[in-house]
Amino acid sequence: MTRPLKPFDYFEPTTIKEAVQLLSKYGTKAKVLAGGVDLVARMRRRQVQPQYVVSILRIPRLDYIRSDKKGLRFGALTTIRSIELSPIVKKDYAVLYEAASQIVSVQVKTMGTAVGNLCVATPASDIAAALYALGARLRIAGPVSERVIPIEDFFVGVNQTVLKLGEIVTEVIVPSPAPQTGGAFFKLVRTASDIAKVNVAVSLTVRGNTCSDARIALGSVAPTVFRTTRAEKALNGQRLEPKVVGKAAQLAAQEAKPITDLRSTVDYRREMVRVLVRRAVEKAMTRAGA
Amino acid sequence: MAEQRVKFMVNGRSYEIPIEPHMTLVEVLRDKLDITGTKISCGAGECGACTVLIDGKPTLSCLTLAMTAREKNILTIEGLAKGSNLHPIQKAFIEHGAIQCGFCTPGMILATKALLDENPNPTREEVKKALAGNLCRCTGYVKIVDAVLAAAEKMRKGGS
Repeated sequence: MTRPLKPFDYFEPTTIKEAVQLLSKYGTKAKVLAGGVDLVARMRRRQVQPQYVVSILRIPRLDYIRSDKKGLRFGALTTIRSIELSPIVKKDYAVLYEAASQIVSVQVKTMGTAVGNLCVATPASDIAAALYALGARLRIAGPVSERVIPIEDFFVGVNQTVLKLGEIVTEVIVPSPAPQTGGAFFKLVRTASDIAKVNVAVSLTVRGNTCSDARIALGSVAPTVFRTTRAEKALNGQRLEPKVVGKAAQLAAQEAKPITDLRSTVDYRREMVRVLVRRAVEKAMTRAGA
Repeated sequence: MAEQRVKFMVNGRSYEIPIEPHMTLVEVLRDKLDITGTKISCGAGECGACTVLIDGKPTLSCLTLAMTAREKNILTIEGLAKGSNLHPIQKAFIEHGAIQCGFCTPGMILATKALLDENPNPTREEVKKALAGNLCRCTGYVKIVDAVLAAAEKMRKGGS
């Protein structure tokens, strides 16, 4: 559908404070523009018709990837492509690299920001699943004060987040992985360029052959990405033998709450959660040195 | 919102024109500047036909608000040839029959340029990945990938 966009008033604040003020003033009539791949496409389809568009593209110092002993940080304007091309992400945060690199369109990744992807709050977000596995936190600027929350507290439902009037996500903070940690990301799609039917992101820390910390995130099988705590518990403190891994994968499948839609069915999605969790855990184990 | 006078740099030329904030870059290129090589097809970021390079980066001009591209270097298919001398990528597409209806071609060629600027010696697999955001409904892609690899080889040898 290529009809023109409906007219709106356009703002280009140059500070976060100014952006927050505009968003507070215009409330639900305003939308934040970063990469535009989601917002402009939805405006074209008339799914959203903001009267005010607040571009954050001209706010300096929001496009970066920094890493140190404590971990990795990137800003609200850091694109998915920059994350994919970052040697540090590829080496130390493999689960995030794999999620970014499996999104196929180079143009979409070049325009689209990781934070924008999170704020869309699709249950199928590959980036969100990877960041759950990595234990990421989000820095949020708002009219009153700034807050930092775990990514697990960010999503409320399909296309819904905890962001309040005037708030914007300014940074993603990823803690440095513990020694002997490995990650893996798998997804199942109809065609390479479609969104996931199921995605699975895993981060495992091992001591010898025993799992000391497991984080397993599932996407596209519930209203939001979520961590399958039952599967994680089945791994923690256990020797990672095939039977243990198989049991955890089974529990993950039980905990998933998929729906049937045009991409897949409840039963198939549930079964694929089992398969992908097993594969992702096995791969993460190898990478962790188990 | 009222029209604003905005400066665009397209193919090395500067244009100052009045636009409205809800205009997308492809609309400005095609309808205001009459630079119609850039195609608009899906309007949703699926097909890549509207790809242009902004400051060297492959960008979907149908999902880009024109305001956000002002004063940046925009390269469209018209900016590749030097006079009547086609760019090596354009020549390779013609030589390898990588063009049928031609509607996807401007986007394909610009996505190819972005790839070869970044990676002058891509593998077949890397070419496929780089063009995954560009749909072609005619060729089946084999000839397009052949053309890209041939162009890469020619450009590495400094050919034109």
